[in-house]
Amino acid sequence: MKNNATVKFVQRFRNKEAVLFLIFIGVFAFMSILSPQTFLTMRNLQSMAYQLPEFGIFAIAMMVVIVTGGINLSITFTSALASIVGGLVLATMTTAGISPTLTILAGLGVFILIALACGMVNGFVVATIGITPMLATLGTSTLFEGVCLNITKGGAISGFPDAFLWFGNTAILGIPFPMILFIVVVVVAYYLMERSSFGLKAYMIGCNPTVTAYSGVSVKKVLYGVYLFSAVLCALAGILMSSRYNSAKESYGSSYLLQSVAAAVLGGTDINGGYGKVVGTVLAVMIIQVISSGLNIFGVNRFVINVIMGGILIMVLALNLINTGKKANA
Amino acid sequence: MMNSVKKIVLALVVLAAATGMVFGQAKKVTIVVMPKLVGIPYFNASEVGAKKAGVDLGINVIYTGPTTADAAEQVRMLEDLISKGVDAICVAPNDPAALSPVLKKAKAAGIKVLDWDTPADKSLVDLSIHQIDDKVYGQHNWDLLVKEMGDTGDYAVITGGLSAANLNGWIDAGLAYAKVKYPKLHLVTDKVPSDEKQQVAYQKALDLIKAYPNLKGIIGVSTPSPLGAAQAVQEKGLKAKIAVVGTALPTDSRPYLEDGSLRVATLWDPGKLGYLTVVLANDLLKGKKPVDGQDVANVGKIGVWADGKTVIMGPPSDFTKDNAKNFAF
Repeated sequence: MKNNATVKFVQRFRNKEAVLFLIFIGVFAFMSILSPQTFLTMRNLQSMAYQLPEFGIFAIAMMVVIVTGGINLSITFTSALASIVGGLVLATMTTAGISPTLTILAGLGVFILIALACGMVNGFVVATIGITPMLATLGTSTLFEGVCLNITKGGAISGFPDAFLWFGNTAILGIPFPMILFIVVVVVAYYLMERSSFGLKAYMIGCNPTVTAYSGVSVKKVLYGVYLFSAVLCALAGILMSSRYNSAKESYGSSYLLQSVAAAVLGGTDINGGYGKVVGTVLAVMIIQVISSGLNIFGVNRFVINVIMGGILIMVLALNLINTGKKANA
Repeated sequence: MMNSVKKIVLALVVLAAATGMVFGQAKKVTIVVMPKLVGIPYFNASEVGAKKAGVDLGINVIYTGPTTADAAEQVRMLEDLISKGVDAICVAPNDPAALSPVLKKAKAAGIKVLDWDTPADKSLVDLSIHQIDDKVYGQHNWDLLVKEMGDTGDYAVITGGLSAANLNGWIDAGLAYAKVKYPKLHLVTDKVPSDEKQQVAYQKALDLIKAYPNLKGIIGVSTPSPLGAAQAVQEKGLKAKIAVVGTALPTDSRPYLEDGSLRVATLWDPGKLGYLTVVLANDLLKGKKPVDGQDVANVGKIGVWADGKTVIMGPPSDFTKDNAKNFAF
């Protein structure tokens, strides 16, 4: 009975996202059954809801670029640079005794502006000069890191107004603010990538940039747009992290870089570009979060967790390959 | 359909009841010890100590931390552990400011918060366990130098980084001490940074040897620095003329100690530090505060500052070519 329903469900959707959804349910149920007292508690669900958004936003920032056949290796340092300069503004204005409201507005503006500047640099290097995205963003990532370290000298920027901590640490009606922001980001990303002509062009570039250019699409403009969108998402993740960690430092979130590539690919995004869904990425992020938090709660060694994550990623990639291979044969 | 739903619900209820019975038994005290990162010899040694204390006291010790020294990762892991519900958290913060919000959450959840190895925000911790008194340790380094090179002549200091608060504390204490106690010592130049890298310390030491031909001693502060300096002295064949001392791990420094290019290394025993942390956290959960001069089994006499919060483990351990092989970190 249950099996039939599952088969029908898969048949109805017949896509990677449905499989991911089932995996998510499976993993969640598995963790809940193993330890209902610690995993399936309001407190743990809430703590996961605080942790997931920053990672999820990075994963979407990565996914939108991968869709165009590129990759953005500078996401974490874009976020770090925005946080450090934004954080400096926040800290300086606070010491100068300017009102918190004004300080926070100015600070948030600077976060976004700096990230946009980073996005422009990426866009320029990739779209205007035409360097392979992997090398281009590896270069800009080192550049941004260097600028960060020059500002902080390796230390952390702190001393933000107390009100700024609200963004990362407050729940509205029981839902953490970071989660609300994440939902907004997901909806915006969905409409931009999957329901607008801009998004369609981005996917077209991922399939074949030459044909897209001959179809009268300005590839350059779209690529700039994608890298700018990715950068703004990095700024949002930066705001959440600076608020949650009450400080800004170049190394915060550095562990998210490869994880977000993993989440995008696990979410079904084709690493060669042309395919990738926001919902798939979100599901992948949720799966990784549940596994990571769950295993943490069980006290599994961190290195073993890395091994398990790597194993799952390879398994899903292999499954996807087998599936597409079957389709091609059929 | 209804039937299968009922079955699943029933199965879940039975399962929950069963696990409830398992978990419902007398709960052991659980103490989390979180290093800056796992998988390096220093923190592996403290893991052995912390786990041993757990066995000796009959309590649960969870020793876990991030695989890279990332404060954000520490915060996430701590959040998970707070959800899990533990009794005490002892953390060596990668960044004190970044951990403040999550430590506040831990306190709000009724969890005792301690720091070890590296201080967190002092207002948030119940106890702060230091391996060493910074002043005593700084002075100790200078005493070792004088023992090796005599109290007259030129010397230089190579440090890990100019902004590292603990290293600066040791150096400032040592310099102030030398000014009074060893007035004939002459520091040739300001402390030289080595970016916490042996290769850089080696380069800087070569530069120092070239620039100051009368150099008689080098103090390396931060664990890679003395090794780099010793490497340079060894290469130049100057180990009889220039005395290198400093803070280093015994396993790393053993080859240099054995050929005499590094005269003596000094540090504390991270295993003892892990042990002491667990013992004091457990005492705290029982409502017992540490007192100055208290004798802790397997650790020795500890010092407690007037604030009642800051605990000093004790005097440093020196590693020479004779005893370096006895240590595993």
